Amino acid sequence: MANHPTTVGAQEHTYDAIVIGSGISGGWAAKELCEAGLRTLVLERGRDVKHVEDYPTALKNPWDLPHRGKLPQSVVGENPIAKKCYAFDEATEHFFVKDREHPYVQEKPYDWIRGYQVGGKSLIWARQTQRWSRFDFEGAVRDGIADWPIGYDDLAPWYSHVEKFAGISGNYDGLETLPDGEFLPAWEMNDVEKQAQGKIMAAFPGRHVIQGRCAHLTAPKPEHYATGRGQCQARNLCYRGCPFGAYFSSNASTLPAAARTGKLTVRPHSVAESILHDGATGKARGVRVVDAQTKQTTEFFARVVFVNAACLNTNLILLNSKSARFPAGLGNDSGLLGQYVAFHNYRGSCSATMEGFEDSYYSGRRPTQLMMPNFRNVRKQEAALDFQRGYMVFFGASRRGWQQGNGTKGVGADFKERITRPGPWGISMMMQGETVPRKENHVRLSADQRDAWGVPQLVTSVGYHDNDEKVLKDFHARGEEMLAAAGAKNIRKNDSKQNPGLDIHEMGGVRMGKDPRTSLLNGWNQLHACPNVFVTDGASMASTGTQNPSLTFMALAARAVNHAVAELKKGNL
Amino acid sequence: MNGAMNRREALRQAGFMTGAAALWASLPARTWAALALPVGWTLEEEHLLTLIGDTIIPTTAESPGAGAVGIGRFIITQATECYAPGATETLRRGLKEIQGASQQLFSQTFPALSGAQREQVLMTYEARAAAPWRMIKELTLLGYFTSEAGATQALRYLPVPGGYQGSVPLGKNERSWAL
Repeated sequence: MANHPTTVGAQEHTYDAIVIGSGISGGWAAKELCEAGLRTLVLERGRDVKHVEDYPTALKNPWDLPHRGKLPQSVVGENPIAKKCYAFDEATEHFFVKDREHPYVQEKPYDWIRGYQVGGKSLIWARQTQRWSRFDFEGAVRDGIADWPIGYDDLAPWYSHVEKFAGISGNYDGLETLPDGEFLPAWEMNDVEKQAQGKIMAAFPGRHVIQGRCAHLTAPKPEHYATGRGQCQARNLCYRGCPFGAYFSSNASTLPAAARTGKLTVRPHSVAESILHDGATGKARGVRVVDAQTKQTTEFFARVVFVNAACLNTNLILLNSKSARFPAGLGNDSGLLGQYVAFHNYRGSCSATMEGFEDSYYSGRRPTQLMMPNFRNVRKQEAALDFQRGYMVFFGASRRGWQQGNGTKGVGADFKERITRPGPWGISMMMQGETVPRKENHVRLSADQRDAWGVPQLVTSVGYHDNDEKVLKDFHARGEEMLAAAGAKNIRKNDSKQNPGLDIHEMGGVRMGKDPRTSLLNGWNQLHACPNVFVTDGASMASTGTQNPSLTFMALAARAVNHAVAELKKGNL
Repeated sequence: MNGAMNRREALRQAGFMTGAAALWASLPARTWAALALPVGWTLEEEHLLTLIGDTIIPTTAESPGAGAVGIGRFIITQATECYAPGATETLRRGLKEIQGASQQLFSQTFPALSGAQREQVLMTYEARAAAPWRMIKELTLLGYFTSEAGATQALRYLPVPGGYQGSVPLGKNERSWAL
C-alpha cells in the first residue's frame, strides 16, 4: 500500500493534496481526496502499522502475556503520563507514545495521551460515536462561548456519509438531543440495565436512557465486507487492534479505501515541521518534513493541505509555520491561535450495587454501554442551575467475576468455589461534561526547548474552572438520585480529580467561527487567511458538546474535502 | 451430586497431602516455573509461596490448584517487576510472618503442616489484615485466574464470543466468564 518517495526533487515531491496525520480525521481526508481523484500524500510522524499484520497481541490469551497484562515497573516508571491512560497496558503499550521520547512543557498539569503511528489513535480510541444535536451548536452560540458558523443541518448529510462507511451500531431512539444516524443493529442491554432504564425514565421524564452508539460492525453490509472488514465478535480486546476489522480505524477502513484508488502515498516517519507559505500567492505551497529516523529535512508540495495531526499537534504545526506574512503562526491574524482549548470533564463517576437478578447473566463482551444525552441547559440556560452547559451520562451494569476474591475473606476449596461463581451485580455511571473554551486555556511554543527533531516543544496551559466543579457537583447529585430510583444500593460518588487531557478529547485552539477577528477557520474548516489550508480535527472545534467527538471530526473532514475539491475545480484554490 | 462432592473432597484431601515436591513434578510446561527465578530469591522461598498459593486456591474436582500453575514464581516475578520498589521486602515479610504464625499455632514450619492446618494459619494471618497478605492473595488470584488452567477450567473462557447476549439464564453450576 505505502509508496515512500525517497527522491529529492520538486516534481517527485509534488502532489495534489497533502494530509498531515493518518488518524481518524486524516484517514477520512485522505479517502475523500483520493476518491475525488487527487494524488494525495499522507504524512505520518510514526511508524507504519499494517492492518492485522502489525497487531502482535490481538489474539493472545491472558496467559500468553508475560505479566498477564500488567506493565513492568520499568515501563511504568518511564511513562508517568501514558500510564494513567486506562487503555495503556502490556497488550497495547506499543500503540502509545512514550513520554520520554516526546516531551512537552506542562505549565499546568496536563496529561497528553498520543499515538504516533499510521492510524494514530484510531487504533486505540473508545469508538463511541454520537451525533451532535442542533442544541449543541445553538446552545454554545446562545451562551456566547462560540461563534459556530455551521449548525446541525450543515453536518447532518455528512454524518450520514461517514456513518454508512464507518458502520455505526445504535437504536433509532427519535431524540432531538441525540439525533439518530445510519445505524447497524444496536447492542443489547442486560437485565439490570433494562430495569434501570425503565425506572429512571419513569422517575425523571426528559432523561432518556438509550443503548450506546459505537463504531462496531454488528451486522456488516456488503460495502463493509468489500473492504475486508467483518462482524464484531464481542471480544472487547479492541485496543490491541482488531483482526476482524470490526471496529472503525484508519488502518482497517479509510486508508485501504484510499489506497484502492491508486492515488494514495503514505509516508511514515515524517514529522511535519511546518507548512510553507507563499507570500506571492497568499497560499500554502507545501509542508516541510523532518525524517523521524534520519532527521533530514525534505519539502513536499501540493495545491491543498489538510492538517489532521490531532488537536494539540495541529496547533503546534500551525504555530511553528512562521513566515513574513504570518510571523505568529499560519493564519493567525486574530492572534488567537492556540487559545480556547477545551476538553471533556470526566471527573465524576458513581457506583452502586444492585440486589437480585441472581439467575441472570450475559454472554460476550459488549464494546459500548448505555448513554443518557445531555438534559441540562438544553433549550435555554436554566435559571435554577448555577453552571453553564451540561453533560452526558454513561451507564453500565455487570456481575463481579473472580476479582471479587480480593475483597472476600477466606482460603481453600469453598473460597475458590465461591469466587468462581458470578458475584453480585454492580451498576456504575460516569459523566462526560462539556467544558467552556476559555482564552487562558491555551497552548504555545516553548521559547527555548525543542524535541529530538528540532521542533519547539509545546507548552500546555489548560486547567479546570469553577464551572467544571459545579457541573461535577450536579452530576453527582443527579447520579445519586437516578441510581436510587433505579433500585441500586450502596451508592458511592467518586471524583477522579484527573488532569485535563486524560479524557483524550482535547479540542480547539484553531477554532471555527464566522468572524475572522475572533476565529481561525471559516465554516468549511478553511483558514480565513490562507484558504488552501484546512483543519478538520479536534483543533477546529469552537465548543466541545457532550458527545464523544470523533464522529464529528469525520463528518467535518469529509465535508471540508468535498468543498475543497469543488473549489479546486472552480480554480478558487 | 453427592458423588461429585465426594470426588471433589477426595481430590481436595489428596491435594493437601501432596507435598511441594509432587507439586513441582506436576508442573506443566509454559508456566512461570519455566522462567528464571528473580535474583535474590531462593527455591525454598518460592516453594513456600507456592504452597501458600495452593492453600488459597487448592485443586478441586474440576480444576487444578494454584500450585499447579507455578504460582510461587509468578508472585515473585510480578512483585519484582511490576510492583513498586519495596514490594519484594513486603513479600518477604509476609513469608516470615506466615512462618511465624505457623510456629505459633502448631510449632512447625508451614510446609510441614497438614492442609487443614495450613488453611488455619492463613485464616489467622488474614484476620490481621496485613499488607503482605493482601498482596499475596491478590497475586495468587491474578496469576491463577489468568493462567490457562484457571481461566479454562476454574472459569469459563470464551476468547471469541461472536456476539453479545444481554440476558442469559445462569445455570446452577455455571461459573463466571474468565474475561
